[in-house]
Amino acid sequence: MKRFLPVEELARDERFIRSDLAEGFSDPRNGRVRDRTISTARLQPDRAAAPDRARSLMHGIFVGEIQALEAAGRTTFDFDDTEAPFALKLDMARQCWDESRHVEISVKLGEHMGTEIGEYTEATFLYEAACVTDPAMRLAGVNRALEGLAIDVFNTMKDFGQASGDPVLKFCEDWMLADEVTHVKMGSDWLRRLTERDPERRERALEFQRAVDKLFSLGGFRGETDESPIQIARRFRELAGFDTKEIDEIAGLAAESIAETRALLGKTG
Amino acid sequence: MVDGRKPRPAFAPWDRRALPGLFDVEESARRVGAYAWLEMRLFEALGGWIATVPELDVKLVLGRHCYHHAWHAEQLQQRLPELREMNPARLTLPANEGIVAFAEALIEPEAAELTIEKLVGVFRVLLPRTIAAYTYHLNGTSTITDAPTIRTLNFLLQDEFEDWREGEMLLQSLIKTPEQIERASERAKSLEALIVVAGGIAGAGTLGEEVYELENKSEAVPE
Ligand SMILES: [Fe+2]
Ligand SMILES: [Fe+2]
Repeated sequence: MKRFLPVEELARDERFIRSDLAEGFSDPRNGRVRDRTISTARLQPDRAAAPDRARSLMHGIFVGEIQALEAAGRTTFDFDDTEAPFALKLDMARQCWDESRHVEISVKLGEHMGTEIGEYTEATFLYEAACVTDPAMRLAGVNRALEGLAIDVFNTMKDFGQASGDPVLKFCEDWMLADEVTHVKMGSDWLRRLTERDPERRERALEFQRAVDKLFSLGGFRGETDESPIQIARRFRELAGFDTKEIDEIAGLAAESIAETRALLGKTG
Repeated sequence: MVDGRKPRPAFAPWDRRALPGLFDVEESARRVGAYAWLEMRLFEALGGWIATVPELDVKLVLGRHCYHHAWHAEQLQQRLPELREMNPARLTLPANEGIVAFAEALIEPEAAELTIEKLVGVFRVLLPRTIAAYTYHLNGTSTITDAPTIRTLNFLLQDEFEDWREGEMLLQSLIKTPEQIERASERAKSLEALIVVAGGIAGAGTLGEEVYELENKSEAVPE
């Protein structure tokens, strides 16, 4: 088996259909839909579209968990012991087990919510972020940016479970949230340790993390206002090793992106 | 009333633990280091394969087992400093060149169609060998002096047995046609030949057997 498996070679059964995440984000209808919407973009149980949006999001979580599993697995294999010490690989192996459970939970939750595997498409952005060949960058992009996003998503879904009176959803999301905080913390710790004597390398890794974070702030997908369906989970991000400045930066990205989208649509804020 | 002052033997009648054992400190450490090396290659391979197998259930099992073997390597490495090797990495070594060749062949399959080959290597060739070697170690080493290694191996064996069973069940569910039967046995045959040449996961004498001089190593048949 070769080191570094390109995204095109990810193995899937015939139920899975790939799509391009950027296409979805750059769909100009999204901005118009938001402008047309008379109230919040948040997931709220009293909105008619809420069940469908939650099911689609749940399927997105499911495929994201598969890729998180694959990405952590590749990190145990792609690097030799000088590039990635055994202790780091041990953490990644632990993450493999956690992500395996998350896939299992997601399959069961999907059934619970009335969704089938393959009902929605799969975007492979998470695994793509795991294709970088510097382990520090990979951990920044996957464990800090994307697993950080997972914290926000799970916390949002947990709140939705609570608000919609679905204790199964709330229960499952809370358990996954606990694991994700651990994964982000692993990312924070290893980023620091791997780049201890190389500030430039750390800066490159953080730059990559910011680029990934920005992608998910596109169109205000994740933010802190009513305009974002996914809400930033400040408390859990702090537990995972983000400082306030970093969280403010992510919140700022969302606000910037909403303004940019509005400008693109030729409207004023 | 029990009289606590009355002398009792240090070993109760049912306690049959004995001295000495088959291994001295060096030999126990060498074996533990060889096990750790192979557990490492195994967890890395399982981790790498996750993205390459299309079968969803297999993917998830590989994710779980990847951690088991990484944890085994960690447990074994933790034992090394207690066996006079303060730098565990120095003793985390393959038993011989034959084991390196075996590990390379084990890890080789990559294509999405090769799930049977990947699983046969792990569950029909390697895990039966680790179960045998760990069992030999804990049966042969001194139950008093090397008790910490025995305890570690017992934890490992519990995983190995359960993982082997799970992997074997996956294989039985995947092997359905004459062509698949052929693939599975060919794969087992080629890997078996390599590990026989290596003498087992800890090298010659892994199970305490006499060391055979192999006349033609490529044939992998003892004299
Ligand atoms: Fe996860
Ligand atoms: Fe995770």
